[in-house]
Amino acid sequence: MADGGVTLAQHREIDPAEFTLRKRLPRKLPQRRNDVYVNMKTDFRAQLARCQRLLEGGEFNEICIHGLGLAINRAINIALQLQGNGLGALRLAPNTSTVELVDDLEPETDQGEPVSRTRNNSAIHIKVFRADPQ
Amino acid sequence: MQSTRNSGLEKFKKIGKTEEESPLPFPELPPDVVEMKVKEGSKIRNLMGFAMSRMEGESTRQIVFSGSGRAVTKTITCVEIMKRKVGGLHQVTKLRYQSLREVWESREQREPKGENLTVHRNVPSICILLSKDPLDPQQHGYQPPESLTGLWTPEEDFIEEASLSLRGAKRPLLSPSPESGSKRLSVEPPQHLVD
Repeated sequence: MADGGVTLAQHREIDPAEFTLRKRLPRKLPQRRNDVYVNMKTDFRAQLARCQRLLEGGEFNEICIHGLGLAINRAINIALQLQGNGLGALRLAPNTSTVELVDDLEPETDQGEPVSRTRNNSAIHIKVFRADPQ
Repeated sequence: MQSTRNSGLEKFKKIGKTEEESPLPFPELPPDVVEMKVKEGSKIRNLMGFAMSRMEGESTRQIVFSGSGRAVTKTITCVEIMKRKVGGLHQVTKLRYQSLREVWESREQREPKGENLTVHRNVPSICILLSKDPLDPQQHGYQPPESLTGLWTPEEDFIEEASLSLRGAKRPLLSPSPESGSKRLSVEPPQHLVD
C-alpha cells in the first residue's frame, strides 16, 4: 500500500514512462451470506445460478446483488432474469451509491515518488425478495 | 450486452434503431415532469448543466433520469452527482427491460445484396426518480436522502441475525472479525431472542 505518497484530488494524465497504474481493491463491504457481489471475470451463467440457488435454498427470504462500475449492467441483468424465472413471485428493490476507489501510481524511475489518486464509481445494490402472498 | 463481433452480424451495418416508448413506472407523476434521457454518447457535463438549472428552481420538485444498455451506469452517475449537489432528495429506482428494434443492412457489395435484418433486443434499463418532497417509503426501490450506510440500517442487520438464530442456526450475533476488515455494528438483542 503506497500510503506514504501524495494524494491527487483532480484527475491528471499520467505519463506511462513515469508511472505504472495499479488499482487498489475497493474497500471491503460487509458480506452476509446472502450478499452476492457480481464481477465481470466469472461466467455470467454461473453467477446467475449461484443467486438462484441462494433464493431457492429457503435459508434466506431475500438476497442482495451488488454491482460496481461495469458490473452494474450484469447485476441488473441477473436480477431481471431471476425475476423472469421466478413465476411472478419475486420483487426487486434497487438502491444506488457512490464508491470511492483509489489508484496507486507507482513510479517507473528511481527518483519518482509513489502517488495515489482517488476517483468515484457508481454502484448498484438490488434486493431480490419474495412478494408476500396476500 | 453482446458485441457485434461474435453475434453473426459481422456482415451487416446498422441503419436504424428505434426504442419502444413506455410510460414511466412511477405513480402520480406530473405530466410535465423533467425527464433526462441518458444515451451512451451523452456528456455528463451537458446533462448535469441542464438538470441542475431545472432543479435549482424552487417550483421544480422532481426529476427523472432514464437510460438503457450502455447508458445505465452513466444514468446512475448523474443521479449520484445530483444527490451530492442538491441535498435531501428522495429517490426511487426502477429496473426493467427496454425493447429495442434495430434494422441492419447487408454490407456485401455484390448483387444480390440480401435482405435487411430486423433484430429485437431486450436490454436492461433503469429509471430513477429524484424528489425534493417525500415519497412513499413502502415503494420497492425507495431510498431516503443522505443515507450513510446506503445498504441497510443497523436494525435490519440485527433482525436478519436474530431470525437466523431463531431457526436454530448457531451463529454468533454480529461478531466483528478484524481480519476481514468488515464494518459490523454491535447491537444488543432483546432478551427474549437470546438462546
